[in-house]
Amino acid sequence: MLGVCQVFITSKDRIGVEEMEQQNNLGLDASVPAVKQKSRFMKDILRDKYLYVLLLPGLLYLIIFKYLPMYGVVIAFKEYNIIMGIMESPWVGFQQFERLFRTPDFTQIFMNTLIISGLKLAVGFPAPIILALLLNELKNMPFKRITQSIVYLPHFISWVIFAGIIMAFLNPVDGLFNYIIKAFGGEPIGFLTSKEHFRSILVISDVYKEIGWGTIIYLAAMTGVSPDLYEAARMDGAGKLKQMWHVTLPSIRPVVLIMLILSLGNVLEAGFLQIYLLYNPLVYDVADVIDTYVYRRGIQEANYSLATAAGLFKSVIALILIVTANKIVKKFGQEGLW
Amino acid sequence: MVGLSRGEKIFNFANYTFMCMLIVLMIFPFWYLVMGSLSDAKLAAGGGLFLVPAGFSLDAYSAILNNSSFLTSFRTTVIVTIAGTAIGTFFSATTAYAISKTRLRGATLFSFLILFTMLFNGGMIPSYLLVKELGMMNTLWALILPNAISAFNIFVMRSFFKGIPEELEEAARIDGANDLTIFFRIVLPLSKAVLATIGLFIAVMYWNEFFSTVLYITDKDKWQLQAVLRDLISNTSQAMNSSGATMGLQRNVSEFTVRMASIVVATVPILIVYPFLQKHFAKGALIGSVKG
Repeated sequence: MLGVCQVFITSKDRIGVEEMEQQNNLGLDASVPAVKQKSRFMKDILRDKYLYVLLLPGLLYLIIFKYLPMYGVVIAFKEYNIIMGIMESPWVGFQQFERLFRTPDFTQIFMNTLIISGLKLAVGFPAPIILALLLNELKNMPFKRITQSIVYLPHFISWVIFAGIIMAFLNPVDGLFNYIIKAFGGEPIGFLTSKEHFRSILVISDVYKEIGWGTIIYLAAMTGVSPDLYEAARMDGAGKLKQMWHVTLPSIRPVVLIMLILSLGNVLEAGFLQIYLLYNPLVYDVADVIDTYVYRRGIQEANYSLATAAGLFKSVIALILIVTANKIVKKFGQEGLW
Repeated sequence: MVGLSRGEKIFNFANYTFMCMLIVLMIFPFWYLVMGSLSDAKLAAGGGLFLVPAGFSLDAYSAILNNSSFLTSFRTTVIVTIAGTAIGTFFSATTAYAISKTRLRGATLFSFLILFTMLFNGGMIPSYLLVKELGMMNTLWALILPNAISAFNIFVMRSFFKGIPEELEEAARIDGANDLTIFFRIVLPLSKAVLATIGLFIAVMYWNEFFSTVLYITDKDKWQLQAVLRDLISNTSQAMNSSGATMGLQRNVSEFTVRMASIVVATVPILIVYPFLQKHFAKGALIGSVKG
């Protein structure tokens, strides 16, 4: 973490040098006062022409694959007709949104999204912080490294495989959990078809998969905490838990805040792929979220405009959340995302 | 240095015990799958703990490796992963290098345009319609292009490029090198670490990609590995039959063992690159997340 900060500092120093160079250029330009601003602009562009050449493909890519779809959201205000295309389809104002909010399921879906995300945030956000605190206390380096390698691994396994593992474990016929339940004389449970268990499965599997990977950033921040602080706390009679609470946690607060902003921006995602791979009509009541709804109405039923409206509703809330969170964090004098 | 107090000893003991339990918890699912997949189908029927295989049989593996759709998708995924990684890594680097130069007119604006794609996106349907209107449905391009370049990767590389001492580039400039030469001859060779990190990140993403197939590919010959795997997992018997691979009554396989074996086969490539990945990823994840 410190190293990274240093990178930023040195790059800022360099700006200073460049400004001086530019001022030198200015000095030369001063001999031709009439041309001034504009020619200097053109001169800069020409000087950096190869940089623009390097920039162009990436910029074109972003315009085509990111900004065109952003423009494509206009079909949320149209009645999209596949023959007429995005441009020619007739405008209908907020009709699609009215339709969406009148759909009886939509309130349920919106609530599901909030509940599932909320649960994931409540468990999944503190979990890696706690694990990082504990990993940070391991003084046996080889053991620490091995533990880290193992807990990071699930992050790199695809959700398809993970869903496969979950199904293999929870299968009512030959799954491990039911094998154990049966061994103790219980009745097998259809976990994935049970409204009661489905959300817990989502939260637990999500935390299991990401808890290790989530520690990386906190661990790095913790290496920057001065050992003197711990020694002082120890002298004052603070035990390990008190040291964590009064020394380690306050030291990593900026990082925690940044991670919190990021997760707030993702609150309405709720983990589309995970739910898509695990859910079934029996648990739609508790598991259907905005994205799965968008997929079914849009892709499967070709109801493009309505589905886009639902998607846009989600993206706008996400944008508002992340911008607000960033503002609040900055207001409290902490460094925000931008 | 004072010796450990009693409280600290208790804490350490509890902590190490907890970590050992966590390790077992994290490894067990994979162990279970490998042992289950090596089991004899008849003995494995009805489930079990699978600390060791029940009986021993490689038939589930030979059933998968003879399954034509599994092999076709494996090849498709290799092609998509290589092409996507090459395109993604290269163009992320060029873009990142350009905006890493603060002297570049518009660098701030371009950075903001890139950052904004992280905050807001058009969503599933507009992206789907775009691929459709570009005529890429049912082509490998639909699997490669929409995911190739991400803002996050660009920012990771930008931070790295900003850390390269300007003096090196200045020296080359005095020798008459232009920005292109500097980028290819000096910056890229110095950036092997970050290129490897981002390249591996992108490769893993392509290898694990599943939903692009659902959205853009109807032609089963162009399915990605994860899609075929999904089919095998959720629908084993049908998938095996429809692919034309005769599961054969003479073979000793069941849905249970085949499902497990297919998961193992699809995970192995990730496990092979994992040590390399691990060497670099912490660094990559860090640089990028410090400042967007």
